[in-house]
Amino acid sequence: MKKLITMSLNGETHEIAILPYRSLLDVLRQDLGLTGTKKGCDVGDCGACTVIMNGKAVNACLVLGVEANGAQIETIEGLAEITANGYKLHPLQESFLEYGAAQCGFCTPGMIMAAKSLLDENPHPTEAEVRFAIAGNICRCTGFSKIVEAIVHAGNGE
Amino acid sequence: MTKKRTIIGQSPQKVDGIEKVTGTAMYGADYHFPGTLYGRIKRSPHAHARVLKIDTAKALALDGVKEVLTYQDVPLKKHAGLPVPRIGSLAVDQNMLTGTARFVGDGIAAVAAVSEEIAEEALDLIEVEYELLPVVLDIDQAVKVDAFQIHETERNMVMPPIIASHGDVAAGFAEADYIIEEAYSTGRPVHAYMEPNVCVCKYDLNAKLTIWSSTQGAFSLRRTLSEELGIPLHKVQVIVEHMGGGFGSKQDIYQHEFVCALLAMKTGRPVKVEYSRKETFLATKTRHPVTVRLKQGMKNDGTLTAREGLYISNTGGYASHGPGITAVGTFDMTSLYRCNENWNLEGRSIYTNAPVAGAFRGYGAVQGFFALDVQMDEMAARLGIDPVAFRIKNAVGEGDLSPSGHRLHADSLAKCLQVGAEEVRWSEKWESPQSKSGRVRRGIGVGTEMHSSGAYPDITEVSGAILKMNEDGTINLLTGVADLGTGALTAMAQIAAEELGTNLEDITVISGDTDVVPYDIGAYASRTTFIGGKAVQNAAAGLKQQLLSLAAKRLDSDESELDIAGGQVVRDGEAVLSIKELVKGEGGTPASSLISEVTHKSKVAYSFAAHFVEVEVDTETGQIEVKQITAVHEVGRIINRQGVEGQIEGGIQQGLGHAISEELILDPQTGRPLNPSFVDYKMPLAMDMPPIKTIILEEQPDPGGPFGAKGVGEDPIIAIGPAIANAVSNAIGVRIRHLPITPERVLEALEEKNQKSN
Repeated sequence: MKKLITMSLNGETHEIAILPYRSLLDVLRQDLGLTGTKKGCDVGDCGACTVIMNGKAVNACLVLGVEANGAQIETIEGLAEITANGYKLHPLQESFLEYGAAQCGFCTPGMIMAAKSLLDENPHPTEAEVRFAIAGNICRCTGFSKIVEAIVHAGNGE
Repeated sequence: MTKKRTIIGQSPQKVDGIEKVTGTAMYGADYHFPGTLYGRIKRSPHAHARVLKIDTAKALALDGVKEVLTYQDVPLKKHAGLPVPRIGSLAVDQNMLTGTARFVGDGIAAVAAVSEEIAEEALDLIEVEYELLPVVLDIDQAVKVDAFQIHETERNMVMPPIIASHGDVAAGFAEADYIIEEAYSTGRPVHAYMEPNVCVCKYDLNAKLTIWSSTQGAFSLRRTLSEELGIPLHKVQVIVEHMGGGFGSKQDIYQHEFVCALLAMKTGRPVKVEYSRKETFLATKTRHPVTVRLKQGMKNDGTLTAREGLYISNTGGYASHGPGITAVGTFDMTSLYRCNENWNLEGRSIYTNAPVAGAFRGYGAVQGFFALDVQMDEMAARLGIDPVAFRIKNAVGEGDLSPSGHRLHADSLAKCLQVGAEEVRWSEKWESPQSKSGRVRRGIGVGTEMHSSGAYPDITEVSGAILKMNEDGTINLLTGVADLGTGALTAMAQIAAEELGTNLEDITVISGDTDVVPYDIGAYASRTTFIGGKAVQNAAAGLKQQLLSLAAKRLDSDESELDIAGGQVVRDGEAVLSIKELVKGEGGTPASSLISEVTHKSKVAYSFAAHFVEVEVDTETGQIEVKQITAVHEVGRIINRQGVEGQIEGGIQQGLGHAISEELILDPQTGRPLNPSFVDYKMPLAMDMPPIKTIILEEQPDPGGPFGAKGVGEDPIIAIGPAIANAVSNAIGVRIRHLPITPERVLEALEEKNQKSN
């Protein structure tokens, strides 16, 4: 039988009924239709499903949907702002574009959320700190060079 | 007067960048329609087995299950799994669902249910009785006269041997002062793209089949489904908006694509089949493990006199690209380094019950050039001369034959070696291994390669492009090319803008819909920029001609006096009329669009690379740390600089993994993959990547490519393997001839060396 949960998602409150064994990842993608968070392995090995839950980066596939009851969840969809003059990207998103850090783009939402979680805690990370923060995010296209550059750059606020 | 390049060579923001960084890009699994059913495939747990009995009654009875198909319910006709033959050799040996499993994971049945959980449960309710057949995993076992024939071919050969023969090898060996003969081998890495294979199908009341698939070849998928399911082409539409990597694996058609279409047709509901990560390890593709026996003759002055070799690939349960990569690998070994045009090379591909090997970035060249490049190092060591100098001396260049049989017209390989050697200060750093001591030893090595842009003349290379100029002067560029993350679409826009003289922001690229865009074979063989881009350039040139004609009339000038730059018609260096003004309608009637359409048939070109690698090897643990990589690539012309760098950096990441840590390990008895997950299949990640310096040369632009540009996607994964092996050999003083170079292998090599010297 479905359970009713309430969560704050990208600043908005959502009350939904979910199957109790569903992961937060499946709740986001299927119940809420937010497909920006990707399913790369569903077992917590790849980081493609990284979201921020109560201020901490987590693999959404390893979190039960019911655990998100009462929680604050940030996903990739919440980063860019729509303003009166069009959209305004988060500095990380700007930086990823400038440095060509996305190739196929499948790891990108998870990567950016992991990076955001780092910058929220450590606004000016070194390259080594960046590599450590994204150690659990697999990218198979870029070799990480431009991803690391983009995150360091966003941290330096240049 | 050479026109100043304003757009190509730069790194403008990718045309599909915003979607990717905001999570709005749609990948196959992101499509969801009301009433969607979830498809799952029942897979054989045995590497080789015949289905004696299959009972689906309990599965069908499960609440929520809408359809169950077994191998008995699908068209019996076999197919090749890939639609485009290389060297005209296609092994038609695959089934949509099979009654004889030939590798662990081969699909025998499928279900469609209202939820993924119910579909999984239904799989378990399908009862199967198997007759186990002998499992053959190694080539040595498979080629025995009395070995079980996996596909009823003699000695499990996929096709007759491929022979490359030229000159007089016997005479060449006769005049050699030194002959070397060794065996080399490469392992079984997998693609491990981030987006698991997925397919969504809808079959509507007009009998039209629409497919959203993560595929590198939308038109190939369309044609194969059309042929195999008997649906006319105009009723089959393949849509690929974005895909999360492929590296060659998604060139092939998989069981889930047929199954998804059939389930949609039978149920009348949309069906989604999404592979689990484990399924991508088990049931997609791997690289072909290859052994190469290579024999070469050399004179004391360092010139090579003859080359003889045997290249044997293990293609697993089905042929897939076995013939293709074997042919490429075999013919590749005729070039790269001159051998007085005396060669005798043979390539074979063998069926086993290993997971199926298919197309993988570097396509047979990874394996062939590994052998050749390592042997070059061995010969240099034998002569006692510097490995870079030895290579420069023998590198193919102007006038030498390329693997395709065409003669090259520049010394690009030598140039890559020279530039790289200077950059890394090779002559200062390189020392013979005898001088090294201590627990951790440093080494430096070089690896080289050449790779074609496109697969001509093996296949007819075709790509189409359509430019539609709207009545306000902006452009819709329709291209058939596939962008699997390479940045192809951005490159196409840059080429069009540069050729035409418009601004990049005035172009919107339309791609990924077979109903709309012109035909393109697909993304592989590093063909997209070279061939797809040339089609775009030609279409842009055609449109420009139309505009200049119009402008000449409007301005009462001669066409030869006019040009287009920055979106303006230019005369005598001055902008005189905007394109927007030129094409707008008159008297309140909008103008019709100007259309330029081109189908481009291509020849072949070669790109080159030299990689220089510095490593540290811990002689106690066997662990290798790559400290620095310098990659020199010759690409003809850079279209998008970040794009080229990105391919080099990414290809190096994969190749590094293949060289030291990646291997799909099989149980030697059962053939079951033991590490089908990211946690046990070891890929280099953010903390493992060494600093990479890329140097991109434009020595040998090819007129067949847009502004002279050639491919680069596969070159980096080819050169890095031998570079690392040679660096490790340099560090520890033992020759490494097999990939991957795991710590165990390093320790074994050191142990062997110690025993020999005792």
